[in-house]
Amino acid sequence: MTDRSDFISREKFMAELARYEKGSVSRRHFMGVTGLGLATGVLGSALPGLRGAAWAQSGIGDRVILASWPNYHDPANFEAFAAATGAAVDMSVFGSNEEMLAKLQAGGTGWDVFVPTNYTISTYVDLDLIEPLDLSRIPNYDLASFDPRFAEPGTVNGVVYAVSRNWGTTGYAVNTAHTAGRQMASWKDFWDVTMAEFSGRTMVHDYQLTTIGAALKSFGYSFNSIDPKELADAENLLIEAKPHLFAITSDYQPSMRSGDAWMTICWTGDALQLHRDIPEIVYVLGTEGGELWSDFLAIPKGAPHLDAAYALINYLLDPAVNMKEVVFHGYPVADKRVDALLPPEILNDPIMYPAAELLTPLEFGAAVTLTDPGRAEVMARFKSA
Amino acid sequence: MRLYVLAVYLFLYVPIGIIVLFSFNAGKAATQLQGFSLQWYGKALSNTFVMEAFQTSLTVAMTSALLATVFGTMAALALQSVKGRVRVVFDALIYIAVMVPGIVIGIATLIALVTLFDWVNPLLTAIWPLADAAPQLALGYGSLIAAHGLFSMALVIIIVRARIAGMDRSLIEASADLGATPFGTFRQVTLPQIFPGILAAFLLAFTFSFDDFVIAFFVAGSQTTLPIYVFSSIRRGVTPEVNAIGSMVLAVSLVLLITAQSILRRRAPKS
Amino acid sequence: MRPQVRTALFLFPAGAWFFAMLVLPLVVIFVFSFGERGPAGGYVPALTFDNFLNLGSRWAAFRNTLVLAPVGTLTCLLIAYPLAYFLAIRANAKWRTLLLILVIVPFWTSILIRSYAWIYLLGGQGLPSLLNALGLGNPRLINTPFAVLVGIVYGYLPLMVFPIYVSLERLDKRLLEASGDLGAPPINTFLTVTLPLSMPGVATGCMLVFILLMGEFLIPAMLGGGKVFFVGNALVDLFLQSRNWAFGSAVAVALVLVMLITVTAYMRFTRRWAGGRDDISLM
Repeated sequence: MTDRSDFISREKFMAELARYEKGSVSRRHFMGVTGLGLATGVLGSALPGLRGAAWAQSGIGDRVILASWPNYHDPANFEAFAAATGAAVDMSVFGSNEEMLAKLQAGGTGWDVFVPTNYTISTYVDLDLIEPLDLSRIPNYDLASFDPRFAEPGTVNGVVYAVSRNWGTTGYAVNTAHTAGRQMASWKDFWDVTMAEFSGRTMVHDYQLTTIGAALKSFGYSFNSIDPKELADAENLLIEAKPHLFAITSDYQPSMRSGDAWMTICWTGDALQLHRDIPEIVYVLGTEGGELWSDFLAIPKGAPHLDAAYALINYLLDPAVNMKEVVFHGYPVADKRVDALLPPEILNDPIMYPAAELLTPLEFGAAVTLTDPGRAEVMARFKSA
Repeated sequence: MRLYVLAVYLFLYVPIGIIVLFSFNAGKAATQLQGFSLQWYGKALSNTFVMEAFQTSLTVAMTSALLATVFGTMAALALQSVKGRVRVVFDALIYIAVMVPGIVIGIATLIALVTLFDWVNPLLTAIWPLADAAPQLALGYGSLIAAHGLFSMALVIIIVRARIAGMDRSLIEASADLGATPFGTFRQVTLPQIFPGILAAFLLAFTFSFDDFVIAFFVAGSQTTLPIYVFSSIRRGVTPEVNAIGSMVLAVSLVLLITAQSILRRRAPKS
Repeated sequence: MRPQVRTALFLFPAGAWFFAMLVLPLVVIFVFSFGERGPAGGYVPALTFDNFLNLGSRWAAFRNTLVLAPVGTLTCLLIAYPLAYFLAIRANAKWRTLLLILVIVPFWTSILIRSYAWIYLLGGQGLPSLLNALGLGNPRLINTPFAVLVGIVYGYLPLMVFPIYVSLERLDKRLLEASGDLGAPPINTFLTVTLPLSMPGVATGCMLVFILLMGEFLIPAMLGGGKVFFVGNALVDLFLQSRNWAFGSAVAVALVLVMLITVTAYMRFTRRWAGGRDDISLM
């Protein structure tokens, strides 16, 4: 496929460049056709510093430490990464962005890569906890093919700190085998049923954004509200519902699968994974609204294995690998190249790609919710109640 | 009564039995038996991170127990001849070390060290004379050993002091009367008498450190001990690998305890 | 060298270690407890009593702990005592060591993994389904205070058995024989001879378990499903989620004070009841 001539005409170069910028051809094709790939490869082996720009992935060390979310990665992809580069992936999972921030604030985490959500990145930049990304070390990241809605939060003050990994929604999953035909459509339904028929069978996240947000939405307030009066209403609802809850946890899949719990606040991918194995479990996007979010791959300040970090991020952004991840975790990605590789039944999946009218009322999380002491206290008081 | 005792042993061992049972699971779930297989033992033993966590736990436990035993025994010996305020202060410190919950010690150590590092590290960077980056203080082996050693040392002092209190003084006096140097007396009279106490204290300190999760959870920084690894595995989604690790630790401790017991029984005269 | 110098030298390492790793950290959280939460979490130096005034918001956590710790200790005691009695007094000497080892060994398996087994046993696929099959209904056992209690008793039983066993084992069996010879029925022998003489062991065991329970957070976290909050859980939340270091320090100081008061009172009480025996040691 590569056109190896000793030199390439100027017109052909410009034509290929235009095609590349439009996204019609891959970077690999462009590099190969114009001979730039060969040149970079030659230079790369001659000048060690440029090695990262090419595809050479060996010599990055024997491990990379990843902090991520539950049920987010296909283990097979990590095994392939380890086999190809010699670096084993050591993953720890967290249930909320607050947990990740707390660990980073305390310092000495030893993380190389972590997965922050869109609204947290500006705070990480303010607190100097995140590393600006050197995009030349992530050749698989092609800004043009990413939906700006989901990729944009990774850039703060013109500097790219995080690259888009996937996006998703926050709604709730309900096991319809127990609903006796009742239509579940709104957050009000969620809380009403929790305190009645599903008493002792519902879970909420150990995560203030989604749990307080779910309570706020049932009143019609904003998901991100920090208004004390609205928060007070939400807190009353949460405390009233607490005796009826099965658990407060962000690791909700095992209980849903075992049948101990029948309903839970849920993210897109978990809902898809559950529905795949237990078709009675359906995903509901509350009619009042909910959260629309995008997750990113980022590097914390002081990451001990920087080469491995970049290698892992680059690997995960490779459309072929990303496609396999999507098939496993069920979260949609903002990368058009990956969409081109996905089978139609996934592209048409209503859980992964909700109808437009369901997406409209959703809100992106707001940075202030991460730092607002009022929200943190409401959640802590709810858990302590 | 025998029935009762049997019931209690069942209560103690049924959950352990379940753990061991599922460690042989051929399937991936930790709660659904799908055939018999040794794969998880293989996976656990070949998992670099498990082996490293085990090694970290071992190193930290060994070091903190050794230091705690040595310094604790020294302190216990010295406290015999100390009265008044110093004695009161030490008694209070030991009491507090044992009484304050591990979680408070863990958290307090974490924020004290983090505050200290935030203050010292910029200074280090500023005064470092060489061209490469200054060494930076961080949580890790040091903080783990220091935090574990604290509680262990308190334990050692309590145990050894009790042992010293129960010693036969007349032998010491006799030894002095016969012209032995203080060190000689110590080596040949005191030490053999208190040695079982020292050994027991060391084993206790080692066990405490090896099994500790709460303090390690806060002060380990980027290091992973075995309990931290297990906790992190449970959050990741339990596979029977965790069961395999637990079963192996159980088997090793069972063997160790039985061996220690048979050695002690052979050494000591029938009491 | 002079004895005083040697004494000082011997005391120095332990003293320095206590100072650096016990006194200083406790002083730090004491100071922090008067501070304020930073804008994104953390600590900002200040001098305010607000944190202590706000302790009431965590009342449920303190209440849970102050209720379940004694209840757990007592339950542990009631289950452990007969077992210790059997091992010390009734058991065949041949079996005794093995049985003792079998009691201690579970203590060596990670409490995490053992608690995880209880998540399975008390969850929908464990005991409740068994009870359901027996026609006894389908009770919700997991994520309840009951589950936490079971976890506590299970986790700390070996720790309670051992000191009681040691105390009973030292008992002069001839006293029991004498009591029987003098015509006392077994229950009287037990109440007037055995029980009082075993009190030091009981006191030690109870104190050990109680102290550990007051700081417990793992078992409520795993078996309580986030619904049963101990003070330990509140602390973990304040430092690892809400990131309110100042308030968290105040809660920690409050916990230490509560424990100082309860443990000192407890020791005074048991010392009087145990007849002044100063035998509060592990050996």
